[in-house]
Amino acid sequence: MRLILLLSEGLMVTIQIFVMTLLFAIPLGMVITFGSRAKNRIINGIVGLYISIMRGTPLILQLAVVYYGPFYIFGGHMDRFAAAIIAFSLNYAAYFSEIYRGGIESIPKGQYEAGEVLGFTKPQIFFKLVLPQVIKRILPAISNEVITLVKDTALVFAIGVAEIYRAATNEMSRISSFQPLFVAGVFYYVMNLIVAQLFKLAEKKLSYYR
Amino acid sequence: MKMIEATDICKSFDGNAVLSGISFEVNKGEVVAIIGPSGSGKSTLLRCINLLEKVDSGTIKVEDEIMVSTNGSGKAIYAQKKELRKIRLKVGLVFQNFNLFPHFNVKRNITEAPKNVAGASKEESEKIAEELLAKMGLEDKADAYPCQLSGGQCQRVAIARALALNPDVLFFDEPTSALDPELTLEVMKVIRKLAEEHMTMVVVTHEMGFAREVADRVIFMDNGVIVEEGTPEEIFTNSSNERTKLFIKGFNK
Repeated sequence: MRLILLLSEGLMVTIQIFVMTLLFAIPLGMVITFGSRAKNRIINGIVGLYISIMRGTPLILQLAVVYYGPFYIFGGHMDRFAAAIIAFSLNYAAYFSEIYRGGIESIPKGQYEAGEVLGFTKPQIFFKLVLPQVIKRILPAISNEVITLVKDTALVFAIGVAEIYRAATNEMSRISSFQPLFVAGVFYYVMNLIVAQLFKLAEKKLSYYR
Repeated sequence: MKMIEATDICKSFDGNAVLSGISFEVNKGEVVAIIGPSGSGKSTLLRCINLLEKVDSGTIKVEDEIMVSTNGSGKAIYAQKKELRKIRLKVGLVFQNFNLFPHFNVKRNITEAPKNVAGASKEESEKIAEELLAKMGLEDKADAYPCQLSGGQCQRVAIARALALNPDVLFFDEPTSALDPELTLEVMKVIRKLAEEHMTMVVVTHEMGFAREVADRVIFMDNGVIVEEGTPEEIFTNSSNERTKLFIKGFNK
C-alpha cells in the first residue's frame, strides 16, 4: 500500500535514531558507571548530578534544551537529527549506567577475591570473570530500556525530525483517516516484538548456568 | 627456610583489633590446623597472608621473600607489585563458599588461571586439569557447570582450581563449614590425600577430628591472639590452658 511506503521513510529515521542512540549510550553508560563508583568525590559528585538530572527531567524537555540551547546560548545552529541523537544518548546512558552499576554491585565479593587469589589482574577480573556475569544479570533490565527507547523515538517530532509518528499524524490530517496512526502503531509494535524476541534469545543463550 | 613466617601481625577493622600480634610459622610438608571460636581472627589471618587484606603492622615472609615488613614508625610497608605477584603464585586459598566462576564449566574454572596468569599453553593447562580432576574423583564432571554440582563436588573443584597453579602452600578457610556431614567427608578425604603427599597446608577448621588425626600442629586462636600451639596430642588431650580446655570441651559430646 502507498501508505506503508510513505510511512517506511519515517520508519527508517526511527530505526536510525534507535540504532545510533544505542551505539553511543551503551558504552557511555559504562563510563558513567565507573564515574559513579569512583572514589574521587568530585567525579562522583558530578556524575551523580548528571544522572539525577537526566532521570529527573522529561526526555522531551532535554530534547528541546539540546536543540534550542546552542542558539540561545551562543547563537549557534544545531542539526535536528544530531540534537536528537545527542539528547537521547545522554539520557539513556544515565539509565544504562544505573543498570550496569546494579549488576556490578550484585556480583558477590567472593568472585573478585577468588580472582585476586588466583593472581588475575584487575582488568582480567573485570572483563573475564565479572562482566560476563553482569551481562546475564542485567539483560532483563536492559531489554526494558531498549523497548522504551523504540517508543521514545516518537518524541523527536517535537524538534521537527521527520520520523514515523510525525509522518503518520501528518498523513492522518491530510487524508482525514485514522489509518496512518494505526499503521504507525503496528510498525512500532512489530519493531518491539523483534527487539523483545532478540532479548529472549539472548537470555536463553545465557541460561546454561544459574 | 620456612614456608611461611609471620611475625607480630596486627590488623584492625574500624578500630576493632582483629589480630593483636600474631606470630606463627609453617614448615615445608607440614599440615597446620587453626581452630578457635568465630571472630577469633582465623579467617583474617589467612586473608592477610593471601593478600586479601593489608596488615596494619607486622612481617610476613613467604619462602624468605618479604611480603610486608614494618618500618621504624610502626607502619606496614608492602613489597612492590611485581614481587607480590610472584608471592601470590606460591600461596593458594580455598574459600568456605567455594567461589567458583559460575559462567565457566568445571574444566575452564581450573584451566583459566594457568592459561591467563601462569602463561601455560592450552594443552598444558588441559592436561593439568585432567590430572587434578582425576585426583579429585571428578573426571566425568569436566563439562558440568558449578550450578549442577553438589557442595562437596564444588569444593573439590575449588581445591583443584587452587592446585592448578602449583602453590607451595595451600590455605583452607573453613573448607567444610558450608557442607553437610556427608559432603564434608568427601572433601576431608581429599585434604587427607594431599597431606599424605606432603602438601604444605594450613587449614582453618571446626572439624576437630580432622585436626586431631591429620594435622602435625594445631594452633588455637581466640580474640586475635594465639592462645596455645602444639601437637594435636598436646592441644586436645594434655592442654593445661583453661581457655583451650573450655573450647575443646564444647566439641567433645
